[in-house]
Amino acid sequence: MNQFKYISPKTKEEALKILKEERVNACIVAGSTNILPDIKVKKLSPKILVDINAIEELRGIDKKKDKICISPLTTIAELIHSELILKEGKILIQAAQEFADPLVRNNATIGGNLVTASPAADMAVPLLTLDALIKIESVKDKREVKLQDFFLGPGKTVLQDDEMIVGIEFEQSDINKNGYFIKLGQRKAMAISIASVAINLKVRQNKIIRIRIAAGSVAPMPIRLTVVEEFLENKEISNKLVEEAASKVSEEVNPISDIRASAEYRRYISGILFKRAFNKLT
Amino acid sequence: MKKVEIEFTINGKKTKLFVKSNTLLINVIRNELYLTGDKYGCGIGECGACTVLINGEPVLSCLTLAADVDGKEITTIEGLAEGDKLHPMQKAFLENAAVQCGFCTPGMILTATALLKENPNPTEDEIKDYMRGNICRCTGYIQIVKAIESCAEGGKSEPI
Repeated sequence: MNQFKYISPKTKEEALKILKEERVNACIVAGSTNILPDIKVKKLSPKILVDINAIEELRGIDKKKDKICISPLTTIAELIHSELILKEGKILIQAAQEFADPLVRNNATIGGNLVTASPAADMAVPLLTLDALIKIESVKDKREVKLQDFFLGPGKTVLQDDEMIVGIEFEQSDINKNGYFIKLGQRKAMAISIASVAINLKVRQNKIIRIRIAAGSVAPMPIRLTVVEEFLENKEISNKLVEEAASKVSEEVNPISDIRASAEYRRYISGILFKRAFNKLT
Repeated sequence: MKKVEIEFTINGKKTKLFVKSNTLLINVIRNELYLTGDKYGCGIGECGACTVLINGEPVLSCLTLAADVDGKEITTIEGLAEGDKLHPMQKAFLENAAVQCGFCTPGMILTATALLKENPNPTEDEIKDYMRGNICRCTGYIQIVKAIESCAEGGKSEPI
């Protein structure tokens, strides 16, 4: 394995200072389940590895007023066991239970899953339907970005060299309590999604008040399906409506063919996954 | 390359070492502490053969930097038995013939003990789901599930 300098800052300020000084030379590592395999195959060759595991302030799940705040170092296993997440955003727990395997979940972090910016990122898809906000800091600045504006393409995000995620937030609301995530993989354990769909839904008297739909592995990044959302809002739920929406899902996604599946199959299955998820919620 | 000093407890023993910053935990465990029950399988976190317990949780020692275990408590398969007295899970694996070539066994047993600590009476499906990161290429899964079931509350073996 390549050589690198290892630094383990104890505070957020210390970590941000290192990023400011070292810029592209520095690579943040948390759960290391993506970074270390990438270093082994030389996809990444950082000069400095900044291990942020010791920064306690970046750990934990909290409620502040009407916001649920997940710190970036929260592991996927910690999410699964969180009573707060079960109550306020259980779609995240569902996705976490499908995530890799229990061994990886004990190390992999939610911040890491987002920063890696895989089109298949299993945590990004449900966070999109929770309308999550990403809090970003650098030495000189603090900013907030909506998750749907966070990804730029495969492996690319709006994060600058000197910035890091310091928090992930979503609102306490009825729609966030009512969600369903469905993932299709080649097998159960350690399978990267062929396609995944998440829905959060608010219904009153059989009428869709608000719906958020997101999909993974069907575009260069995890995406919100806003055309279908607009189509569905304020409509009465019926079988015909769901069928129409499913075909619109297949139109709105923008998949490629790769080793896991063809673009045509992904288009087709996205509509099916949408129907399955929607029917679970109604 | 500059070495990092780390201090940790492994199988109840306090240990202090200097490691290179890019040294993986599995290499320290096997090559410096000679605890070769920890197995190197795929090296990319897919197979679970390198499972060890860190602060009681099963994790992959091939995807953990040694520098990162400073101050932590590690258990390898060698730390389960008390002298000649095997851990109930080890006994259950023996009694149920849940071992074929044995390469995956240390990881399987460690993950299984963590499962029962978290969920003392799992269903068959819960066992399969929890164990899904530990792969056996001799296809001995049925015996492995049986062994774990026998160790659970209400199983035949003594409780953990």
